[in-house]
Amino acid sequence: MLDKLFKTFTLSESEKKKFKKIEAALDERYPIGEDPWGLNVNKAKKSLQKIYPIYKHYFKSRVFGKENVEDKPYMVVANHTGQIAIDGMLLSTSFVTDVYPPRILRPMVERFFTALPFVAPWAAEGGSVLGDRTNCLKLLKKGQSILVFPEGVKGITKSTSEFYKMKPFTRGFFRMCAATGTEILPVGIVGAEEFFPYVYHPRKIAKLFGLPGLPLSANYFPLPSPVDIHIGKPFKIPEGLDQDSPDKDIDEQVFQVEKLIKDLVEEGLEKRRPFWANAVGPKK
Amino acid sequence: MIKLNDIKSILIIGAGGGLAKLTASLIAQKYPEISIHGVDPRDTDFLIRKENIKYQRMKYTRGNFERLFRDNSFDMVLHLGRLSHSASDTASLTKRLDLNLMGTSKILELSLKHKIRKVLIMSTYHVYGALHDNPVFLDEESPLKASIKYPELRDVVEMDQIATNWMWKNQNEIETIVLRPCSIIGPQIKNTMSQYLTTPYVPVPIDFNPMFQFIHEFDMAKVIIKCLDKVPTGIYNVAPDEIIGLNEAKEHLDIPFIPAPIFLLEQAAKIVKMAWNFPDYFINYIKYSCIIDNSELKKHIGEEFCRFGPKDTLELLKLD
Repeated sequence: MLDKLFKTFTLSESEKKKFKKIEAALDERYPIGEDPWGLNVNKAKKSLQKIYPIYKHYFKSRVFGKENVEDKPYMVVANHTGQIAIDGMLLSTSFVTDVYPPRILRPMVERFFTALPFVAPWAAEGGSVLGDRTNCLKLLKKGQSILVFPEGVKGITKSTSEFYKMKPFTRGFFRMCAATGTEILPVGIVGAEEFFPYVYHPRKIAKLFGLPGLPLSANYFPLPSPVDIHIGKPFKIPEGLDQDSPDKDIDEQVFQVEKLIKDLVEEGLEKRRPFWANAVGPKK
Repeated sequence: MIKLNDIKSILIIGAGGGLAKLTASLIAQKYPEISIHGVDPRDTDFLIRKENIKYQRMKYTRGNFERLFRDNSFDMVLHLGRLSHSASDTASLTKRLDLNLMGTSKILELSLKHKIRKVLIMSTYHVYGALHDNPVFLDEESPLKASIKYPELRDVVEMDQIATNWMWKNQNEIETIVLRPCSIIGPQIKNTMSQYLTTPYVPVPIDFNPMFQFIHEFDMAKVIIKCLDKVPTGIYNVAPDEIIGLNEAKEHLDIPFIPAPIFLLEQAAKIVKMAWNFPDYFINYIKYSCIIDNSELKKHIGEEFCRFGPKDTLELLKLD
């Protein structure tokens, strides 16, 4: 039992070999160890060694559609699930360990997150940045790939009855892509909602306390639900659109991206592996 | 645009400061025909005299400034005399407000009256404030939010605003440059950041690791000279391209420090402040990043304006 637990949270010999190659590729890609946003590649590599066993052995993550990713910057856009942003951590891990060439995604985080002691600097060392347009534009211009969840906090504050029902996307990410000509990489994540299968958000009480959500859950430690990451084909920004295009034109495109991700999620739900908590979510 | 080769005299306010001394020496060396007149309320006897540098100990009063401008004919004015929090004690809050706000207004008013051709005012990056939701690379148009949390920074923000408002209002009559440099460090600089970095056993937060831009005093002095010569009216951030995290900076300096969570430091700062002067706003600057964008300045003085990177700068600080 203890032996199994130990294996779950440590790297196997073959994984250690794989990591050496990944680390060499990261050193080549990020020759300057620290960047102005706080990314520290050496510390990110150390964190990754701890996260990878959780990603691979605990959540048994799989990645589909790796062939859609080329060696260029993308705006990675995904559905948001699972009460806390574990999905972001798993998706970022997949882009370093399962996608070639490995790259550190720059997840855009909420403002409150950057004020959290310990967590904020740790996440920044791993690549996260404040979700601000100035940051986003500068990173894209520097050739970095961004990770966004356009559903925002609403995406991870869903009660069981709302699992896998995507909240409307905001437009900001699309305007940034239009400004820089960056392609969008749609991603559907399946399996993360079941980390906390029985959850209810009393929204009125949460609003009273000024909180984005108040999860009343049967468990507060994530269950080992298997996670599938489905990467779709890149979405090119149509010609004629720019950062200042009217909302109407932007909304049409955002809706298309939303639809692509919805399709990936539905496809993922059909293919997902059996887990007892799947019963509480959508039946597909 | 007026150039250093076209002028005969410069007034340096705050000439006793480390950066002012360095700037005066560099100008004196490169432009021996320019006469430099330095004023400072501190003792100026220890300052090194050169043929073309004259120092005058002078109390900063309205009358003294009026006499100074009346009795001399200056072409350029360098206002490097902002009274910082580290140099003053709590009792001198009024003095700080008087000099930084009233003093700056008076200097600008006299500069216009006496037909000074170019004025350079030294502000600071502190005006932007160190806040958790600061984007990385704050440009000159970013809001000045320093006094939102710490009212004692009001004089710093207001001095900057007095200078910039005056600058735009009088842009057709006088060239004005407002510089907002990042942390200037060096053996001659005695600001809060230099003291914090070089004092052993100072607390360092374990739960935050802000990024910093450090400019060496020598590089900063050279930037000032380039600004006097090449830069048109405007506000400019001054910072090198390279950045460094606080933890790495501290480790690089190899000075023993005390790791502590920030909430303890905040409480400790309040207690320490009761006993003697401590700029408690500084806690925020070792908690959150305040990284400034230098692209506007680079348009005028070129890409490579810093000789020392952050690690070299810290290395030189270590040698002191």
